[in-house]
Amino acid sequence: MSSNFLNIRASQARWIILLSYLVALAFDTIALLGHSSPVVPPLTLFFVLYWCANFLDRTHLFSAFILGLLSDALYQTPLGSHALLFSIFTFLMIRHRLRFKTYPVWQQAFFIGIYMLAYQVLNYLFFTPVLDSNDFVQYWTMPAASIMAWPVLAYSLRRISHSAADS
Amino acid sequence: MHFVIAFILSIALMAADHYSHFMGNVRSVLLTTINPIEQIATLPKQIYLLATTDFTNINALKVENQQLKTELLLVKAKQQQFANLQLEVSRLESLLGTAGKMNAQSLQIATVTFYSNNPLSQYLTLDKGQIKKVAIQQTVIDSEGIMGQIVSTTPTSSRVLLITDPDHQIPVRIQRTGQRGILSGTGHDTTQLGFIPKNSLVEIGDLLESSGLGNVFPAGYPVAVVTQIEDKAGNPYLEITATPIAELHQSHKVLILSQANPYLNFDEDLSESQNKKDEGNAHVQ
Repeated sequence: MSSNFLNIRASQARWIILLSYLVALAFDTIALLGHSSPVVPPLTLFFVLYWCANFLDRTHLFSAFILGLLSDALYQTPLGSHALLFSIFTFLMIRHRLRFKTYPVWQQAFFIGIYMLAYQVLNYLFFTPVLDSNDFVQYWTMPAASIMAWPVLAYSLRRISHSAADS
Repeated sequence: MHFVIAFILSIALMAADHYSHFMGNVRSVLLTTINPIEQIATLPKQIYLLATTDFTNINALKVENQQLKTELLLVKAKQQQFANLQLEVSRLESLLGTAGKMNAQSLQIATVTFYSNNPLSQYLTLDKGQIKKVAIQQTVIDSEGIMGQIVSTTPTSSRVLLITDPDHQIPVRIQRTGQRGILSGTGHDTTQLGFIPKNSLVEIGDLLESSGLGNVFPAGYPVAVVTQIEDKAGNPYLEITATPIAELHQSHKVLILSQANPYLNFDEDLSESQNKKDEGNAHVQ
């Protein structure tokens, strides 16, 4: 099964990838409704990074750019700012995705945690959010939340991808 | 190569969005794409509300209906008084020889379909857009006071930047003293009143109303109440915190004001309002 997964191409799972992006955007939108949104990792970026690491025949930079633009519209930030952040992190993933793919999930989660810490630092520099003490803690806890969320996401998407490869 | 293109394009977009208004259409397209996702995102909350609503309590609904009818009657009576007062003011102004002009605002009722509580951005999405002639910079109010202004529109929806958003600023004056200042959002459901010198007579509980400077917000609408005043050494101005009067996260129905036009003739506007009543748009003077 796993060898089958290694051989599938992005085009074979195109609809799953598109659907996953829609779901991720919906989750990011739901997160905006709550008061605890700073602690929730950006799921759209998560999904792009996952597909980028697992489907090696595409760069996924176009997806990252478009999803970044949609995130700009969602978060009411200057157009292109999230697109730039998403493109940078997708590019970083492309640079070492062959190695990343061979890591066990817990190690991947650790790397994603570092990615998300860098993302939060850039986010802070770009948008300079006004954070009260509660939000400040939540904001900088996001990388830790990402470490916990990644295995769940990786496992779920792996299962879905397997189904796509088998069918 | 792909990354270089994405990088350059992102920078160009950011520059274009910051320094010009050409990106309004691009944002409108993106918001139109996001709209269905916003609708989906609010579904769980709607389902929860639907499940927790008591359908059987018809008596409570009857009582509420009766209360609303009474309130409507009172509001109508007050509106009549208000119209009379405005006529009186207009007559007095003409007697005094001043320009007999009144601000006229036409109102449009809209429903809140989505909101953001994020400290980065605080906004509302409304169900009225370009088709209903909603335009950028229109003021949005609720029954209590100013909520914010329209910052982007799509054919079927519009986005309101709340007065608590960190990027939002509104010129206000202290109602009691007439002192002017700029009210900025903090991103945490509160606002900061800037440029009030230390010798100012501002007090906790003072009402801040829109001053109308800049011609974006109409003058005289309540905005916030002063809740905290700090006098810090080394700062020539007071640090004043104010809480918005409008129910930013509770209001479901809001009013969109038309662009302020201080040169509309009062009489002309009265007849216009009569015509608009038929079209379902409330019109007040």
